[in-house]
Amino acid sequence: MLADFFIGFQNALHPMNILIMSLALAGGIAIGTLPGLSATMGVALLVPLTFGMDPATGLLMLGAMYTGAIYGGANSAILINTPGTPSAVCTTFDGYPLTKQGKADEALFTALVSSVIGGIIGTIFLLVATQPLALVSLKFGSPEYFWMAIFGLTIISSLSEGNMIKGLLGGVLGLLLATIGIDPVTGHSRFIFDYRPLIGGITLIPAMIGFFSFAQVLTLVDENQKYLAEYSPNKGVIGKVFGHMLKFSKKNLLRSSLIGTFVGILPGAGGNVASFVAYNEAKRWSKNPETFGKGEIEGVVASESSNNATVSSSLIPLLSLGIPGSPVAAVLLGGLLIHGLQPGAKLFIQTGDIAYTFIIGLIVANLLMLFIGFLGMRLFAQVLNVPSHYIATIVIVLSVIGSYAIRNNLFDIVIMIVCGIVGFITLKVGFEPGPLVLGLILGTLAEEGFSLSLLMAKASGSMFGTFVARPISAFLIFMCIMAIVSPIYVRVKKSRKNKLENA
Amino acid sequence: MNKKLIAVLLIIGFLLTLGLTGCQKAEEKQDGGKTEEKYPSQDITVIIPFTAGGASDVQARIVEKYFKEEFGVNMIITYKEGAGGEVGFTELAKSKTDGYVIGGLNVPHIILQPLARETEFNIDSFAYIGQMVNDPQLVAVLKDSKYNTLQELIDDAKANPGRITLGNVGTFSGHHIASLNFMNLTGTEFTLIPYKGSADQIVALQGGHVNAIMGNLNDVMRDMDKYKILGITTDERHYLAPEVPTFKELGLDMTQGITRLFAAPKDIDPARLARLKEGFEKIAKNPEYLKDMEKIGQPEEWKDGEKVYADLKKEVETATKLLEEYDLLDKK
Repeated sequence: MLADFFIGFQNALHPMNILIMSLALAGGIAIGTLPGLSATMGVALLVPLTFGMDPATGLLMLGAMYTGAIYGGANSAILINTPGTPSAVCTTFDGYPLTKQGKADEALFTALVSSVIGGIIGTIFLLVATQPLALVSLKFGSPEYFWMAIFGLTIISSLSEGNMIKGLLGGVLGLLLATIGIDPVTGHSRFIFDYRPLIGGITLIPAMIGFFSFAQVLTLVDENQKYLAEYSPNKGVIGKVFGHMLKFSKKNLLRSSLIGTFVGILPGAGGNVASFVAYNEAKRWSKNPETFGKGEIEGVVASESSNNATVSSSLIPLLSLGIPGSPVAAVLLGGLLIHGLQPGAKLFIQTGDIAYTFIIGLIVANLLMLFIGFLGMRLFAQVLNVPSHYIATIVIVLSVIGSYAIRNNLFDIVIMIVCGIVGFITLKVGFEPGPLVLGLILGTLAEEGFSLSLLMAKASGSMFGTFVARPISAFLIFMCIMAIVSPIYVRVKKSRKNKLENA
Repeated sequence: MNKKLIAVLLIIGFLLTLGLTGCQKAEEKQDGGKTEEKYPSQDITVIIPFTAGGASDVQARIVEKYFKEEFGVNMIITYKEGAGGEVGFTELAKSKTDGYVIGGLNVPHIILQPLARETEFNIDSFAYIGQMVNDPQLVAVLKDSKYNTLQELIDDAKANPGRITLGNVGTFSGHHIASLNFMNLTGTEFTLIPYKGSADQIVALQGGHVNAIMGNLNDVMRDMDKYKILGITTDERHYLAPEVPTFKELGLDMTQGITRLFAAPKDIDPARLARLKEGFEKIAKNPEYLKDMEKIGQPEEWKDGEKVYADLKKEVETATKLLEEYDLLDKK
């Protein structure tokens, strides 16, 4: 193993591999930045290119692409309030307000550094703890997925503070939209109102592009401002960001990266779930939670470090068990198979040199990203000097292309536009799209978890045994209760204190 | 709201109406291929109804490697995923019949979906080129499971009806129909748990969340030493798992698998269909191709288009009977 490790180290630092990784990173960042073009698509596009390559080089290219794309989503999230990938939804919450305050470069650089650190932490776990973490992922059955989804839904409460009814309504609407299509248990179609194209359901990406990108364009047109935000490069931004992060963000970075690593190993949950959970926890543990959503740099840190931590950890089930834990991992699986590599524990035993080259290469890719991302950042920030009517046009074109390309389905464009208009109107009356998208993300997870658990309960004859009396389930239930009760407790305590002071 | 915005909204509304009507009538059937000297003279699009990187895609990519050599044009893979393949199947059924659009089909998906719900295709919507893969169904348990033979599992299920869980992938899927067939033949009742995909099903088995699975050979063969395969639903012992007894040996008359075919829309010009059949058969028998298929672990089995169609007809009958028995047919 040690020998394989050193071979991997050497291979990963081979100049040719560094060059290919750099190119793939740049491509990934571009794809991630463009709203609508997703990481899965980028990796899938590259798979045929790897056929002619040495397997390790091919894998490094795919891994670098994946890393770059997940990070790239932050750029558009921060600059134009449209998440480039679903994982960057939470980055918009604070990233865009920061841009509005003229701190675009600060937010961009923070996102980059957080992504790199998250990515490296996730990869370290991939390197040293693959087997134990894979075993943890196996412990997650349907009941656990159900409770995790419920826990995820409690995030709505913190996303919509002071606006609870609207937040809940948005979340419920998201859950309802997620039920359109084919019932996962009976296999019958439902809520499609005899309109055939709806059979495939409302998928996340077109809906997300609609609610964020398209709605944002309408808002831009409505606001009728010449530029998105004031922007002039701040001198010394690097020092400022590093200084801040060293001083204030250590705990947040570590917590968010660990959350990302953990959520990433679960097949069925990915970067989007991870960033919501990490964002929520960052807010919960923060000394000034009221600043979140109004341009709190820690929000960007949480979202970006957690989603990049999922990049490597989502490969854990693939590399150790042969089970693809995310759509991108599924594409990578195809790539491995075509090269004749057997994913699973055998990958490390039979082709250890390739496995370690890949893993160490991911760390190298993250370090390279610090430089390439920095170059790109300067370029992307120039978007703010482009008049907003051009931006609106470009974003519309990209939105249409992106929502079509995800399934090559014309109907997804319709979904995108309808969601965009609904999103724009609801934004006008004070509904934020966050809770709705969260409902849409978690709806299928919750429903599937619930209905399969019911079947399991029927077979075992014990509702309690299936839903509650499992260690991870019990822990998740405890977390749900805490998430709901603690804000109430804090509020009651505060109001008592106020009364005492007033008295 | 200002005037500009209203104008934008109006334009969007107009586009939307166009889009909605377009979706419903998209790509109406066109006349069969016009006679032309040479076919194929341009790239052929292949619709894959599942995600990029999925098993169907990986197989198609292997075919792609040999396609150009055989046909002299490129094979362009486009993915039309959704609703368990239904979106892509429908797309192929409605595609142009000039021979430049073909697609991958999966059985029994194309049999079961029209039985389960109203669909815009059935097995008569296609002209079959041939079958490339037959991935047989099998029953597997974990290595340390208390069941050592299929009979032990059956006996336990008989003694405890509904108490034993059997993992499936999806409902109205190959796994589902195989499980129904299995329960019907043995007079047992399992609780079927339909997972979203084969990855989820394998996680559930390895994590001990289900007692057994009805799964595909391709899904378990990567980690054979983690499971006990109790029986495989093939006529003869399988070349990729020769130590596993067949259902037939165990006294159960049942052969079931997920097969991957290539087909064209029904009204394709017969001469062009013949050219495609000839080419695909050549690819399917190419030793290099066979080596690649072994690498990706997909059990290859070539079957000619006509035979495919004849077998499909029989399968529709059995499936209908089975679904009737379990009262699962869509009552239109």
